[in-house]
Amino acid sequence: MALLEVENLTIGYQSQKGFLKAVEGVSFSLDKGRSFGFVGESGCGKTTLGMALMRLLPPNGRIEGGRIFFDGKDLLEKTDEEMRKVRWQEIAMIFQAAMNALNPVHRVIDQITEAIHTHTPSHNKDEVYEQVRALFKFVGLPEDRMRDYPHQYSGGMKQRAIIAMALACRPKLIIADEPTTALDVIVQDQILEETKSLQREFGISIIYISHDISIVADICHDIGVMYAGQLVEYGAREEVFDNPVHHYTEALLSSYPTLTGEKSQLMPIPGEAPNLINPPFGCRFSDRCTEARVSCRSNPPVWLEITPKHKVFCHQCGKHCGE
Amino acid sequence: MDHGEETILELDRIVKKYRTKAFLFGARGQEVIALNEISIKVTRGEIFGLVGESGSGKTTAGRLIVRLEQPGEGKIYLDDHDITSLKGKASKAYSRRVQMIFQDPYQSLNPQLSIFDTISEPLIIHKIGNTKAKEDAVWQTMKSIGLSPPHDFAHRYPHQLSGGQRQRVAIARAMVLNPEFVVADEPTSMLDASMSAQIFNILLEMRKKLNVSFLFITHSLAAARYLCDRIAVIYRGNVVEVGPGDEVIENPKHPYTQALIDALPKFRYSGDKKRYQTLIRAERRVPEHAGCPFFSRCKRADPIKCSREKPPLMRLGDSHSVACFYAEPGIKTSSGDNA
Repeated sequence: MALLEVENLTIGYQSQKGFLKAVEGVSFSLDKGRSFGFVGESGCGKTTLGMALMRLLPPNGRIEGGRIFFDGKDLLEKTDEEMRKVRWQEIAMIFQAAMNALNPVHRVIDQITEAIHTHTPSHNKDEVYEQVRALFKFVGLPEDRMRDYPHQYSGGMKQRAIIAMALACRPKLIIADEPTTALDVIVQDQILEETKSLQREFGISIIYISHDISIVADICHDIGVMYAGQLVEYGAREEVFDNPVHHYTEALLSSYPTLTGEKSQLMPIPGEAPNLINPPFGCRFSDRCTEARVSCRSNPPVWLEITPKHKVFCHQCGKHCGE
Repeated sequence: MDHGEETILELDRIVKKYRTKAFLFGARGQEVIALNEISIKVTRGEIFGLVGESGSGKTTAGRLIVRLEQPGEGKIYLDDHDITSLKGKASKAYSRRVQMIFQDPYQSLNPQLSIFDTISEPLIIHKIGNTKAKEDAVWQTMKSIGLSPPHDFAHRYPHQLSGGQRQRVAIARAMVLNPEFVVADEPTSMLDASMSAQIFNILLEMRKKLNVSFLFITHSLAAARYLCDRIAVIYRGNVVEVGPGDEVIENPKHPYTQALIDALPKFRYSGDKKRYQTLIRAERRVPEHAGCPFFSRCKRADPIKCSREKPPLMRLGDSHSVACFYAEPGIKTSSGDNA
C-alpha cells in the first residue's frame, strides 16, 4: 500500500485581487522507501504543495478540495491536535534556508534533545543523549561540536543539524523543500549523499521539492513536473527525463546548461506563466507552447498514459501513446 | 579564439584584505584576505568566467574592476592604462566604459524610477545626447534586450515586472552607455532556468553585435561552460586554474576544480560519477596564510611541501594553467576514503 496518497488536491490563497489557486487537481502516490521529486519554476505551486501536506499553510491559504491519505488515514480530517502529533513524529520537513530555523541562543544539542523529548517524553536523559550522538554521527557532524551554538557552525553544518533534527523522531516521510539551495556544490553533494543513505538505511520516504532538475534527477525515483499549479507530467525518473513528452518538460530540459556533451544553444521558454487568479480554461502552457493548436486553448487537457509508469497532461501527446 | 589577442582588462597581482569589526577596547579585528595576488587578463570581445563558491572572492574582484572598492596592492589596467588611482573626470570617463550587472534585480533597481527613467539615468549622469537622442538610445537598448515593444514597459515600475524582466532592465541600464567591458555578477542566480537561458543568450548576442567583453562571475560551472571562452577557478581568493572553458571542465587539473566537478549532480551523464575523488574526509589544520590554499582538503597534497609553499600558476599547455605542484595527468589517485 502506498504510504502517501494525494487525490485531486486543490489549494488556494485569498489575495487582494481575488482567490488564487496555487495548486489545482494534483494527484500522486508515494510508496514506502521511495522518493518523489517535484520540479518546476518559481510560482508553480511546489512549495505550497509541501506546506499543505504538513497542513502548515499561512492564514490566507486553504485546502479547497481533495484528500491526503497518509498511512491509510485522511490527514485533512484530523483535528489540529492530532495533526500536531503527526508532524515531526511521522512527517518531518526540511525547509528552504532551514539553517535559519535554529534558535541562536540555545546549544545545538539542546535543540535536538528538545525535539526528541517533546515527542517521546518516556525516554530518559541518557537514552536521549545517545540518540543525539548517533544522529550527529549519521549526518557527519563532529561529536565535539555538539555543544556549540548555531553561530559557530557553517551553513552546511547548520543544514546537517536540521537534518539530524528532522530524523530525531524517526519519521516515515520527510518533505525537503530546496534544502540545498543556499549551499555550495561540494556541501550540497555531501548532503545529497546523506539523503540517499537515509533512504537506504531507514527506509524513509522523501518528497523532494526543487527548481533544479539535476538534483531531483540525482536522488528521486519518481518525478513530477509542475507548471502553473498543475502537475503536467509524472512518472519514473528515467522515463520522464529520457523521454519527456509534455512540451513544458521538454522546454525546461533544453533551457538547462549541461556539463558534458554537445554544447547546444539553450532554448529559453518565451513568455511568462499565466496569472493563477484567472487561469486560462484550456491548457495552461498553450500560450508558450510551440505546438499548441486551437483545441489546446479551448479545452482542458486530459491525462494520457504513455507507459504504465509515465503519464502526461496534454492534448497532443497521443502520438506517443501508440509507440 | 577569433577575437585577436588584444588584452582589454588586466588584473595584476591584486590583493584585497578586509578587517573584521574591531571588538571592544581597541582590540583590532581579524584580517580576512579576500583576494590573494590574483592576476587575470581578459581579451577584447571575450567572455571570461570567474567561477568559485561563496566567499571565494569572486564578487570582490568584480567590484574592484568597477571601482566600487580599491585594491590593497596590485594594479588594474584597462587598455594598458592603470585605473587604480583615477580621480574626478578620468574616473567618470572610466565608469562610462566599464559597467556592472548585479546579482539581484530585486535590489538593484530603484523602485521609485520608471523603467524609462531607470535606463536613461546613466545617459543623464554622463550628459550624453539631447532629449530626443536619449529617448532613441533607450528605445534601441530596450529592443535589443527583448523588452519589446518598449512602449509597453517604459512607464511601468520595477514591482510590475517579473524577475527576468527586471534583470533585463538592469542589463539595459548597463548597456545603454555602450560600454566596452561589463562585469556580470551572477546575473541569473535569482532566476528560473528558462529566464536564465534568456539572459545568457542576450549576453552572447551583445558580445556578437557590439564586441563587448564580459567578466562573468558565477558559481555554476555549467553556466560558465555554456557562456565563457575562458574560465578561471578561484578558491579562497586564489586563482587555482585558468583555461579554455571546455578544457577546464572536461580535463580539469587542479584538485579543487576536480572536486567541484565531482560534486555537481550529473544530469544526462552516463560516465563515472565521481572520477577524481580529491577531497579528504576531515579537514587538516592549516598553518596560517602559508602554503597551498587547498592544502586543508586535498588528498593529493604533500604534507610538507604543500603546507609550506604556495604553488604559483604554472603553464600546462598553450592556454591552460594550474596552481598545483602535483597537477600531473594522473587523474585518479589511489583509492582510499572518499569524502
